[in-house]
Amino acid sequence: MTLHLVSKSPFSSSALRDCLQSFAEGDALLLIEDGVYALRHDALQTLQNSAVYCLEADAAARGQRELAAIVSGIKMIDDAGWVKLCTQHNPIVSWFR
Amino acid sequence: MGNKTLALCRTAPYGSALAREGLEAVLASAAMEQEVDLLFIGDGIFQLLGNQSPEEIQQKSQRRNLLALPMFGLEQFYVCASSLAERGVKPKLIEIPGVEIKTIEQPGALIASYQCVLSF
Amino acid sequence: MNHLSANGKEIPLDKEGYLRDLKDWSPDVAEQLAAAEGIKLTDAHWEVIELLQDFYRQFDLSPAMRPLVKFIGQHLGADKGRSIYLMQLFPPSPAKVASKIAGLPKPTNCL
Repeated sequence: MTLHLVSKSPFSSSALRDCLQSFAEGDALLLIEDGVYALRHDALQTLQNSAVYCLEADAAARGQRELAAIVSGIKMIDDAGWVKLCTQHNPIVSWFR
Repeated sequence: MGNKTLALCRTAPYGSALAREGLEAVLASAAMEQEVDLLFIGDGIFQLLGNQSPEEIQQKSQRRNLLALPMFGLEQFYVCASSLAERGVKPKLIEIPGVEIKTIEQPGALIASYQCVLSF
Repeated sequence: MNHLSANGKEIPLDKEGYLRDLKDWSPDVAEQLAAAEGIKLTDAHWEVIELLQDFYRQFDLSPAMRPLVKFIGQHLGADKGRSIYLMQLFPPSPAKVASKIAGLPKPTNCL
């Protein structure tokens, strides 16, 4: 199962859209950096049955931590959690633009 | 597909250096006998279009470089079917001599079958 | 050697001895570039040089060893499409040495 990393805002980049186009059942999504703004984007609704993670420090920095708490199904993780995800998934695909 | 690497080609040529850098990485890997597959997806399919004449912007033709890949032992490209349809690109426009173009309906399943994915 | 002269013209080379401007190439220039590598060009060399130049025109890049061997094999037959054959003609590193003599840039993916 693939771990997808999205690091750009879905409002200025096709990263999230392109990622979802290549998302297979059982895959996981981790939002980092400006990717955390995906919490405000409708496209995330399509992943209700999939594992979606958000790097807490990046969400907090951008004032999105409270939002993350109320969007259903989002798991907040720290760096150690990120490392753990990387060990549990293969391959890892970075959607960095 | 074992330990094969997939190069995810998702950017158009010339607008940034990514498409070129991806190709260089693939050529270097192939020259060292490392197996790499290519998946053209999103704007990456524009790399395959014919009639690229980038001389006046002082660039090398991405397509002409891609035409060399059979010489490096790469004789099959994966291409995302919905990316083609979305951009109105007919499969006929992206044919490459000596290369079998395999259009893929489920890119996610293909990606998940690799150990390593490099994104360009 | 930072330049050579041919037809009364000074031709600049880079610090590895490759032509700075590919348009400066001529058979006379090739002979001099070969001499600098200690190679005397024969018909066997010339047919490889011409194919290298074809490869560059077709694909816009200088081939590394593997594609060069395959391309030569396709055009000159399997007995010439072998690294040992090219090694004898253009020692010690056929892709680099033959590209230089053919007036092409150094193969970028050749380590």
